Amino acid sequence: METLVFQGLVGLSVSMYLWLLAAGLTIVFGVLGVLNFAHGSLFMLGAYFTFTYYGLWGVNFWLAIALSLLSVAVVGYFMERFFLRHIYHLDHAYQLLLTFGFILIFDDAAKMIWGGVAKIPAMPSFFEGTVSVVGRPFPFYNLFIIGTGLAVAIVVWLLFEKTWWGKMVRASASDREMASAIGVNIPTLFTGVFVFGAMLAALGGALGTPVRVVAPGIGAAMIIQAFIITVIGGLGNLKGAFVGAIIVGTLSAYGILLFPVFELFLIFLIMAVVLMVKPQGLFGG
Amino acid sequence: MKTRLAILILVVLLALLPAYAGKYALYVAIHILLLSIFSLGFNLLFGYTGLLSFGQAGFYAVGAYGCAKILLAYPSLLVGIVGGVVIAGAVSLLLGFLCIRHTRIYFSMLTLSFGMMIFSLAWKWRDVTGGDDGLVGIPRAPLEIPGLFKINMAPMENYYYVVLAFAILAIYLFYRIVHSPMGLTMQGIRDSETRSVCIGISVRKYRLLSFTIAGMYAGLAGALLPPLESTVTPPLAHWSHSAEPVLATLLGGVYSFSGPIVGSVLFYLLKDIIVRFTEYWQMCLGIIVVVLVMGFRGGVVSIFSRKGGQR
Amino acid sequence: MSGSKKISRRELLKAATVAGIGGMTLGLSKVGEAASPKEKPPAQTKSTKKILGVDVIKLGGQGVISGAHADYGWQIQAGAVLAIDEINAKGGILGSKLELKFMDEELKPAVAVKNARYLATDWGAHLLFGVDSSGSAMAVGPILPELDRICMFDHASTHRLTEELVYGKGIKQIFRIAAPVYQESNLAALIFKDFPNIKRWAGIHCDYEYGYSVWALFKDTLKKYRPDVEFVSIAWAPFWTMDFSSHISAVMAAKPDGIIATPWAGEGVMLLRQALMLGVFDNIQAWFQCMGASVDILEGISNEVAAGKFKDKLWATARYIHNYPDTPENNKFVASFRKRWNRFPNYSAENAYSTIYVFKAALEKCRSLKTSDLIKAMEGLKIMTPAGERFFRPEDHQAIYNVPGGRVVKDPNYPIPVLGDLKVFPAQAYYRNPPFEPLAMAK
Repeated sequence: METLVFQGLVGLSVSMYLWLLAAGLTIVFGVLGVLNFAHGSLFMLGAYFTFTYYGLWGVNFWLAIALSLLSVAVVGYFMERFFLRHIYHLDHAYQLLLTFGFILIFDDAAKMIWGGVAKIPAMPSFFEGTVSVVGRPFPFYNLFIIGTGLAVAIVVWLLFEKTWWGKMVRASASDREMASAIGVNIPTLFTGVFVFGAMLAALGGALGTPVRVVAPGIGAAMIIQAFIITVIGGLGNLKGAFVGAIIVGTLSAYGILLFPVFELFLIFLIMAVVLMVKPQGLFGG
Repeated sequence: MKTRLAILILVVLLALLPAYAGKYALYVAIHILLLSIFSLGFNLLFGYTGLLSFGQAGFYAVGAYGCAKILLAYPSLLVGIVGGVVIAGAVSLLLGFLCIRHTRIYFSMLTLSFGMMIFSLAWKWRDVTGGDDGLVGIPRAPLEIPGLFKINMAPMENYYYVVLAFAILAIYLFYRIVHSPMGLTMQGIRDSETRSVCIGISVRKYRLLSFTIAGMYAGLAGALLPPLESTVTPPLAHWSHSAEPVLATLLGGVYSFSGPIVGSVLFYLLKDIIVRFTEYWQMCLGIIVVVLVMGFRGGVVSIFSRKGGQR
Repeated sequence: MSGSKKISRRELLKAATVAGIGGMTLGLSKVGEAASPKEKPPAQTKSTKKILGVDVIKLGGQGVISGAHADYGWQIQAGAVLAIDEINAKGGILGSKLELKFMDEELKPAVAVKNARYLATDWGAHLLFGVDSSGSAMAVGPILPELDRICMFDHASTHRLTEELVYGKGIKQIFRIAAPVYQESNLAALIFKDFPNIKRWAGIHCDYEYGYSVWALFKDTLKKYRPDVEFVSIAWAPFWTMDFSSHISAVMAAKPDGIIATPWAGEGVMLLRQALMLGVFDNIQAWFQCMGASVDILEGISNEVAAGKFKDKLWATARYIHNYPDTPENNKFVASFRKRWNRFPNYSAENAYSTIYVFKAALEKCRSLKTSDLIKAMEGLKIMTPAGERFFRPEDHQAIYNVPGGRVVKDPNYPIPVLGDLKVFPAQAYYRNPPFEPLAMAK
């Protein structure tokens, strides 16, 4: 029992990176109707920027994270304003293809700027140490990650449910023309939502920098997991993405513990079954 | 008349290729023919039926592993290739039955997950697939019909002609398919599902047909691979391999018969050439994709034809 | 999708033209090469002075130079370039200079095969070397007879390459300079048989051939010496594992005394640092990181080693370590490598460096670029290299040489951690010998 609790907690901390990644993906899909293949690359860029500011230039860890969010926000702005905006009217296939092109560009750009060798900067010393959970040492940093993930979930929920901006976003997600008619500036709103999603991905990447590996290609490797999560939770469904991330993260953790051989197969099987039986996702209306 | 002449000239040029091209060029030519077959099948789904599949590499791998297993047990080229296509066809019929229930993004995600399930089987079902090392030492078995003839396939030139023959056959059949009433019906469904339903067309039946044929084309391309490389490995089934026919088709042109073929030639040569000059070939490819999507959605073929790039 | 499209015959014509031009360029690129050769002749320019008949000996290398494992390809390249420059500065091999072309194998077998074909049949390489992943090596090996080239494998470590393909199938063009997978697994077993208190072993391994064979061999060999040990838990990690926390906590749940782990390159660094975070080193007696003495991993955990966080419980080996043996050859190699690249060489660098010198020795012995002559010259070859004396076993073309294992420690003489408390066993003690029994790889 202790083993299962501990493994679940480890899985939960892994889930939080997935949640931060999937949150932006699902928001952008829900509002803009675009499935951003390059969303994982924004996660990667968040990690690389943090590595540069914090690991290379020695900027304070928190400031480095803030700066990297801003940097990715700029990248996201350019992607939306100059590329995506012009193809919203096309079939979803073209949006997938365009963003797939961006994966290739971002990966090689990262290699050009930061080189091919994997990067892991030193961990900020105030995060070292463990706390005892069911008699076993659990890293303080993982607790911090779980806390941050939950905090982001609450903030995002408040933002969309309780603020005027959130209401506008939801209005335009459900009926673009109506929202436009009542004076919502749709193009600006879309840019804002895309940038917001990019920053969530960047936060996930940034928080992983001191403990995970930063290398070209991690974005492409992560995006498939994010697809699985958003599909399980329902494309465009924020609550679904949160629960989906926890399902995938903890299931993989238990998979490693209990049935290690066909872990990957099982996760794709779950995705396929959800798509066939309930394509709107486990939490879709 | 002019078209027929051009095609004739092209076929003659291709048939004479071994006479004036080196070994590596021949190898590249075989790969281009494989990619052309792969992309044609993909485009039956995408361009003609309106379904974007991200799992075609799964069927490619089924064809490749199927052919490899047959050749390892019974070294006959024809049996291997036909066997690979039949197995890929069966698998795509089965999975197609599950996939065509959805369209748009849901279809893309469903094909992605089935493709990755095949990838994970290839990786983990070690007794059958050899795991990540794959199946090795697959013979380039002779082309044989017992009692009639037996041709040695060891020289690359001979195998090139086999691939060329299969490619021409596949292209010809494809031309017949898309110009048959069936092909026209598929395009009708793509353009307006509602209209098709109203005039009494079984949309699902046609989608399933299209899916199965696309799977068989992927399987054919895959089945032609093991005799060339003597190895099959799991990355053949990975989603990043599924992206190749997508890119090739986009490059050549989605809404033309020849787009996927022209795209395959350009895609492969472009990649082969860029790789020699820069390790940043992915970036070049990415920029090409972005430019095509933003400005030239009809692909290269449409730039040359009167219709122009816009839809 | 909307808008109706008819396929016009004109499009088909256009397509035919474009495709035709494609085919033509393929052919045309060959026209310049005179006399309609089916492939580039090994000797492009005849010259009477040269013993080998060529001005330039072309070396075609490949390794992974992208993604999380990119440092390995870089090290192969760096080692090879160093050797080539040294040899060229002294006039080349029998009067012929060396030229290198290096390509990215991306850890994808299909790419490795294409590279090998391009290098041999289009670029005109006389000799091939490199290749990082086992899957790529198993794919390249079988096409070597068709290409009529030798390939020296510098890194790919699956025992199947030499045991099945060379010894079993008789593909004589395959040689391997690096110690194969049984080096780290059997060596670890030999070291830890002498630790009576370590009775419960767990593994965190790569979810591919490499990890499977290390775990299988380690268990087999250790069990022979120590019937009392138990193997209590195992976690498998595929390529692109971003987080090993779940793997670590899964095996720690079984309360092991020792852990043996295979993830390499950036993944290895991440694994060790996450193990520290989870307090693993307070609860076990030893951790053996198979390729942990590779320079990229030593660099990645340098601060942690200096701060004593591993509590001297971290053990490692590699297929060569820069502080062993203490010979003039090794000291000279390490010094020139540091001078040239401002880093320490890891094993793939030494393996590539020595590869070039093995080629030199073989060419000088047989005075011919013919593959069959080279094979004869290299079978049974004994040569002094930085890693010590290497002997190419004629039966399976595997180089036999000695690499110790040891504790990862901080040494004031080096800027990065090194292996100390070295445990040296004769290579014969941990190499597998012909006739080879297939490994039973129960997972």
